[in-house]
This record gives sequence, C-alpha cells and structure tokens, in this order.
Amino acid sequence: MSSESNITVLYFAAASTATGLTEQSIALPQNPFPLSSLASVIISQHPNKGLEKILGTSQWSVDAEMVDDPEKVLLKGGQEVAVICPVSGG
Amino acid sequence: MDTAWPPASVEAIEEISEGDDRAGATAAFIGTTRNSFKGKIVTRLDYQAYSKLAIKTMSGIIRSAHEKYSDSAHKTAESPVMSIIHCAVHHRLGTVPVGEPSIVIAVSSPHRKEAFHACEYILEEVKLKAQIWKREFYEGEREEDAEWKANVS
Repeated sequence: MSSESNITVLYFAAASTATGLTEQSIALPQNPFPLSSLASVIISQHPNKGLEKILGTSQWSVDAEMVDDPEKVLLKGGQEVAVICPVSGG
Repeated sequence: MDTAWPPASVEAIEEISEGDDRAGATAAFIGTTRNSFKGKIVTRLDYQAYSKLAIKTMSGIIRSAHEKYSDSAHKTAESPVMSIIHCAVHHRLGTVPVGEPSIVIAVSSPHRKEAFHACEYILEEVKLKAQIWKREFYEGEREEDAEWKANVS
C-alpha cells in the first residue's frame, strides 16, 4: 500500500493563467478521495482567481485518460490529474 | 506534435503521398493563423497542449478514421480494398504568427472520396477532442487579457 497521498495536478490554458502554475502537488484530504471533491480543494488553495467558473466548465483526466463521470472516480496518491478546459486545437 | 516546425509544412504531405504505389489520391488540410477574428486584428496565436494525452487522442482519431472509411464503393468480394493507406497529423505548439500553419493533416487512399472525407473527419475530431488550447492576441489589447479560446462552448 502506497504511503504517498499526494497527487500531481496539471494546469493548462485558462486554469494555468488563473493559478499562475503549470503543475502543483496536492495532498489528498483522504486517500482515496473522490474526484468530484477535488475542485473545492483547488479553489481553497487558489481563492479569488476565478477558478470556480473555469473548473465548472472543465473536464478532468486521470493518468492521461479522460474521465467521463467524475462521480465514479476515486483518486489515489501518486496519480496525475489534469484540468481539461474546453479545447481549441486545430 | 512539433515545437519546432519544419520550414516546409508540406513535408508532411509529401511524406504521405510519396512511396506508396497503392495510393491514387492524397487529400491535405493546412490550418493557418488568420489575421482577424470578429473585426479585431489578430497578431498571433499561442498553442499549448497536454502532449501525452493529445497524442493518444490523435492516434485514436486516426484509428477511427481508418475504421470509418474502410468501406469503399470499389470493394469487391474478391478484392478487399483498404481505403485509407496513410494518415499524418502535425500540430505546432508555441507561438504561431499570422499566416503560418498550425496544423497539417494528410491522408492517402486508393481513391479520392475516402481521402477527402477522412481528412475532414480527422480535422473535425481533432478540433473537438484533442487536448490542445489556443490563446488569441489582438492588436491594441493587453497581452494579459488575451483569452484562451474554446472550439465548443
């Protein structure tokens, strides 16, 4: 059983501009921790940066796989979680 | 994904069309930075990507294109025709000045219909799904105010 209970959160685009970061190590309040509760943790660490709106319209990826239903995902220490804002490639 | 764009983006197209004698058609798309958006003058676009995931997504799109266009009107019971021979997608990251290419897609096929359709399909899927973002900068506006765009809002 891993004793590590930090995840790496990756920020891109609007999330990166708002937080001023491209990545951040976040300690999970519990391990495992529901993905659906991660937004509140991030916002509490970055208050008044407009993240409620950004995270409200973003999806998540965990270990480079898109998440269809955040309600069903439990995060464990050591994972890489990315904030996926609405994309604009091409 | 390229952070250093080859001087000739048409290299990607040539790479696809040369050397495979089964191909009769190569369809290509080049997306370039346009100089305007809703009446504002665009000075540049900056592109960023979650490369690890964007590459997975684009590989999946190419696989889907192969599957989707595997049926050809030219197929007969005796000779199955593979409709899509090669696909290439190149996306540039970092700053792309006005007039320069940001994305190049090339598809080769024995016949033109599948090549055109697959090329368009790949472009639309990349725009919908690839984990790539662009930030648009306008003349006369502060850089800090430049917005990250969304293809679908």
